[in-house]
Amino acid sequence: MNQHVKKITPETTDLSRRSFLVGTAATGLVLGYAGVPGVSEALAAAPANFEPSVWYAISPDGLVTVTCGKADMGQHIASTMAQIVCEELGAKWSDMRVNLASNDPKFNDPVLGAQITGGSWSTMMNFDAMSRAGAAGRMALTEGAAASMGVPAGELAVRDSMIVHAKSKKQMSFADVVKSGKATKTFTPDDLKAIKLKTPDQYSMIGVSVPQIDIPSKTNGTAKYGIDVMIPGMAYGAVVTPPVRYGATVKSVDDSDAKKVPGFIKAVILDDKTQTTTGWVVAVANTFANAKKAAAALKVSYDGGPNAKASSESLLAEAKRLQKLDDSGQFFVKDGDPSAAFGTAAKVLEAEYTTSINIHAPMEPMNATAEFKGDILHIYSGNQFATRSGAIAAGAAGIDPKFVVMHQMWLGGGFGRRLDADMMVPAVQAAKAIGKPVKVIYTRENDMTMDFSRPLTYQKVKAGVDGDGKLVALSHDVVSAWPTQRWGIPDFLSPSVDKKGPLDAFTVNGSDFFYTVPNHTVRAIKNEMAHNATPSGQLRSVAPGWTFWAVESMIDEIAVAAGKDPAQYRISLLDGAGKNEGGAQRLRNTLLAAMGLAGYGTKKLPKGEGMGVACVSSQERATASWTACVAHVAVAPSGEVTVKKLTVATDVGTQVHPDNIRAQVEGAALWGLSLAMYEKATLKDGGIEQTNFDGYTPLRMSQMPEVAVAVIANGEKATGVGEPAVTVVAPAIGNAIFNASGARVRALPITAEAVKGAMKA
Amino acid sequence: MPTLTINGRSMSVDAANDTPLLWAIREQLQMTGTKFGCGAGLCGACTVHVNGEAVRSCQTMVGDVAGKKITTIEGLSAKGDHPLQKAWIAEQVPQCGYCQSGQIMQAASLLAKNSNPTKEEVVAHMDGNLCRCMTYSRIQKAIMRAATEMRTASAAGNDRRPT
Repeated sequence: MNQHVKKITPETTDLSRRSFLVGTAATGLVLGYAGVPGVSEALAAAPANFEPSVWYAISPDGLVTVTCGKADMGQHIASTMAQIVCEELGAKWSDMRVNLASNDPKFNDPVLGAQITGGSWSTMMNFDAMSRAGAAGRMALTEGAAASMGVPAGELAVRDSMIVHAKSKKQMSFADVVKSGKATKTFTPDDLKAIKLKTPDQYSMIGVSVPQIDIPSKTNGTAKYGIDVMIPGMAYGAVVTPPVRYGATVKSVDDSDAKKVPGFIKAVILDDKTQTTTGWVVAVANTFANAKKAAAALKVSYDGGPNAKASSESLLAEAKRLQKLDDSGQFFVKDGDPSAAFGTAAKVLEAEYTTSINIHAPMEPMNATAEFKGDILHIYSGNQFATRSGAIAAGAAGIDPKFVVMHQMWLGGGFGRRLDADMMVPAVQAAKAIGKPVKVIYTRENDMTMDFSRPLTYQKVKAGVDGDGKLVALSHDVVSAWPTQRWGIPDFLSPSVDKKGPLDAFTVNGSDFFYTVPNHTVRAIKNEMAHNATPSGQLRSVAPGWTFWAVESMIDEIAVAAGKDPAQYRISLLDGAGKNEGGAQRLRNTLLAAMGLAGYGTKKLPKGEGMGVACVSSQERATASWTACVAHVAVAPSGEVTVKKLTVATDVGTQVHPDNIRAQVEGAALWGLSLAMYEKATLKDGGIEQTNFDGYTPLRMSQMPEVAVAVIANGEKATGVGEPAVTVVAPAIGNAIFNASGARVRALPITAEAVKGAMKA
Repeated sequence: MPTLTINGRSMSVDAANDTPLLWAIREQLQMTGTKFGCGAGLCGACTVHVNGEAVRSCQTMVGDVAGKKITTIEGLSAKGDHPLQKAWIAEQVPQCGYCQSGQIMQAASLLAKNSNPTKEEVVAHMDGNLCRCMTYSRIQKAIMRAATEMRTASAAGNDRRPT
């Protein structure tokens, strides 16, 4: 099982070791967790000098500015954090503002202890901390108001940024209390823990689709992304990347033609000791257009390095070779003895599932702006992993990470791409080389060919059923590059159950499903060749994007072999026995909801049409949002597939912002469709062959089917929604294709040729 | 030094004639609402209007648009209150938001000519604009909402006209 998840459950938070500050500084009321001992004394002694180290501040004009430590890449997490604070604080929504945090460790995630955004974790892991921060602020303001009004605090009510004493009809606004300087309460860790938070029936903000704070700025061109940063006197850098994705070295650079480009300043060969990039050169000029021209004019010769012959075919062949070896990989799940059970099973099925290399391709190409000011290196870039990216920037500069300030921007799409920090390296080294700030912008071609892609994966699944059609054994091997291991952070790896050393659970999450299977093994096998040739990253939904493709396709194959309805078969496997108690029942209910909404099994479909189901516990077993999909497809005799409708149900426990959940689930489901049908990258001679949106083709408006979303909010803890719906769509479509045509497809993306080839003659 | 007429103002840009309009707008004029997405006319993030037509500014050279009327997202309306911008907020369209300037400019060129488009016309007109967050259904809804508002406003305007 994924040990990493255990590490990040709220019980292990170090919140209890910090004290919570409330006090009025010169700038207004500040509230937050103090990471530095003695800071509350400093606050008391010299409030004017206090730098808020905090989750939010209330200014004397009553505006509440929440500092969001999570990267906002369109999931509106900054607005969501503000909403959670607002609920307990009792502020008026129109008084709420957001601010994006720097990489100062005081803004670290209260549960994760770092600044990293991913895993659909943010709401789940910050809900409690933001709620308590909001409640503490309300209590401090109330006590301050009570002192001013001369009434007992217990008789005051807080609503819409007003503190009201009903008996005397006295009232004060938050602004009044801040101006009075009387909100000075300090909370000990025990005080904080003891705060009685609202119960769901008392919510007036949580569960309401308030207008997202960031949206107006995204309709008039004023939202600032990393690419929009302008520093006086800065130059621009365009990167020249080698034809090989990773491992090339620069042999020589001839800049004689580049020197003829007006505005050209310098060609900088990167010396990347962080090994994030290999063989890159930056052409620096006075404008980006000129930098691009200069980049095109540079004549760079390369040594292609050890991966120059790698191809999608060779990576797949290597994966198959590794899977056949008995001693490959490490066990992620090891329950019972599938090998023995296969010997006595009535029927044994085997199948191979593959997924292609996939590219993140957020609409904002990678970019970073670096500026050295005195001892401090300032980086301006939208980034999902400020803690690590700051360290990479420091590594590129040859300085201590504590001297790097990361200025967070709105992210023009993240999807996991901006967990990586490659863009820091050219910006930093170019800025250092010319002694001026430099903004490096990737062309789309750079962005696609140098993506930290979703790895090519190969999975072999073997299943045994008994005479009654009951699933008694499943062995599942997952072969891929290991994206998280590449980070070099031991905490993100998990121990293997066979004690063969740590494994990258972010390649196998999801395979530890909630079906009851007495004999079940999952092996995580690292494809070293792919790992080296295609440094992989976390792409929206990560491992469950491929593990459920295999699992949910195979479950369908088993159901068909057993002569059962695939949906009913799943329900029988979700019996909630043993370790699956609770989760299995929620997943079953979610599946039933999707079936109900889609009318599964209630109507006869025309010839050539079919419905398929899938259900998932994505993202991780311990952080699941229970998600199910019914796909309705039409399959032409040519093998051409039309997805007519996707019906997605998801159990999110508690919904903070219903409309946003729908937006995320729909976007995620369409990502799932795009990956299932339209997106494929290939490697040839060590390089990614697709360079722009003509060769790599995410879903467009005309390809969008009807999407129906049902959100189940049953009062359990809030879970994440940015990713799970990605994972459920591909298998639902594959299963629907089988239902419609009898063609079983096992490779993503699904092609008409593959469907036609799999049709019974 | 070419002179461009952008958002009703005449501005000279220090850029060669073969510089893409996109970079002149963003870097020379520091209007960053128009976005770089692909540099190849494949994604629509850089869409602006030239004489009322939606064009890809990454494929339009500065030298070719001198003297023409250029409109960017910053100039679509005085206060960000074009019916499309209001509809974009009402439908809560943007997620990451990066493509949305281009989406809005592309949609505006449709509604300027056809304030009662069918769904098929909307899809055909918008299909060149990628949204990686996949906000397509909300984009459609917002365009329809804005079209309705424009028709209503136009009808009201007609009513007020002296007979």
